[in-house]
Amino acid sequence: MKPIQQYHFIIIDDSPFDCLIAEKVVQNAQRYLSVKSFQYAQKALEYIAQGGNQDPNTKNIILLDIQMPVMNGFAFLDQFEALPEDITSNYVVFFATSSINANDITRGNSYRSVRHFLNKPLTTINMQQLIDRLVF
Amino acid sequence: MMEERIKVLYIDDEPNNLVGFKATFRREYEVLTAQSPAKAMNLLETHPDIAVLISDQRMPGKTGVEFFEEIQSIHPAPVRMLCTGYTDVKAVIAAINKGHVFRYIQKPWQEDDMRAAIEEAYNYYEATSLLSERNIELIKANTELDKFAYSVTHDLRSPILSVLGAINIAKSAKTTYEIHEMLDMMAQSMVKLDGFIHNIHDYYTIKRGQLNITEVNFEELLANLKGIYKLDGVTNNIDFSIRTDINGSFRSDELVLYIILNNLLSNAFKYQKRDKEYKYVRLSIEVEDNHAYIEVQDNGIGIHEAYLENIFDMFYRATNEGFGSGFGLYNVKDALEKLNGRIAVSSRKNEGTLFEINIPGK
Repeated sequence: MKPIQQYHFIIIDDSPFDCLIAEKVVQNAQRYLSVKSFQYAQKALEYIAQGGNQDPNTKNIILLDIQMPVMNGFAFLDQFEALPEDITSNYVVFFATSSINANDITRGNSYRSVRHFLNKPLTTINMQQLIDRLVF
Repeated sequence: MMEERIKVLYIDDEPNNLVGFKATFRREYEVLTAQSPAKAMNLLETHPDIAVLISDQRMPGKTGVEFFEEIQSIHPAPVRMLCTGYTDVKAVIAAINKGHVFRYIQKPWQEDDMRAAIEEAYNYYEATSLLSERNIELIKANTELDKFAYSVTHDLRSPILSVLGAINIAKSAKTTYEIHEMLDMMAQSMVKLDGFIHNIHDYYTIKRGQLNITEVNFEELLANLKGIYKLDGVTNNIDFSIRTDINGSFRSDELVLYIILNNLLSNAFKYQKRDKEYKYVRLSIEVEDNHAYIEVQDNGIGIHEAYLENIFDMFYRATNEGFGSGFGLYNVKDALEKLNGRIAVSSRKNEGTLFEINIPGK
């Protein structure tokens, strides 16, 4: 049997509630090595640029909100994808958003690191399935 | 009435024709004349309010139609009329197709015909310039509406989705502690949603409402605000003080004034530094000669200098702290514009913020 793959999770959402909910969903999905939340996308970017969890053999999933003050999800991705390849290749991004705006969805899917566009509320089952089907 | 005279520019290479035109119409219209298209061009640059352009067709160097065609993109506003003595069908067709000419006038012209043509041209000018003004306003309103719909959708949905998410978690929770934690979150999300709906209500009250000017009863107004913020002050250990110095009466719209004060106080209480030992919010109101000076000061998180110029923009948020919607200060600015008031802000990150308001009474 193929062993269950586990990941480090980074949650980026300006709402502390939504961070907490996402943390719980990730924990309940039981595929996590660690979960870290950021209310400011800039802080998450710094964390990732400085080497993130410092564990080179593991992969990371970023759950990213779109509409955030100061630095929104798109601005984050613009800067994230400009980071060195040996960093970014260890990450995939799932958008987790309340947006139902068609432009947001098209724009979101144009980033190479974005794998899924999830609508809030996040659910454990859905999260589990997406993680298990994930190919890095 | 001098300032309401129609500005007419007449172009002809024959000086006598120019003199004749000016002599006939200078009492009725503000008449400018040019002996060549080049001179006419200079006049168009210096007089952007020229409403009617009349040009001779046959001039050395450039025909009237060619001149109209040339200025079409730079000066589209003035209404053009072509004047010629020759029955030149080609010129007339070209004038209509290329030069966007409103009228064709046969030379020598009759005073009454010319006057009627100028009046009609001017009516057309007024209608189209009003139309383009309205168009600009409409484009602006539409852009604002797009932004409004986008942001409102987000701000209304996100607390609902937070609650749905919390319900999912609560359903599979293993401890009552976790369920309580989720219930707290749901309650706070609903408070946020309710606050946002209040903001939208304020927005429409200010935007669409007529001002209701009365003598402002500060005692009642302040008692209302005290009632709202007293509990906040006690539970979060924030010293809330009000200083008043009311001399004589102040006439204004009490509801609009309330929206301004409530929004500023709400921010002052919301954006406090949690770890600060002594936290305060100070409100000061002075009235002198039917003029109000209001200050709202706090020693909270402050606003970074780089964001200060944007804080009154709709949906602009400079921080993730608190439950801001990016609506509050926009409403404050809008409300003050209605009252012809002014607002100034000074702030230092981590030290606090001071809003100073100045409102003339009605």
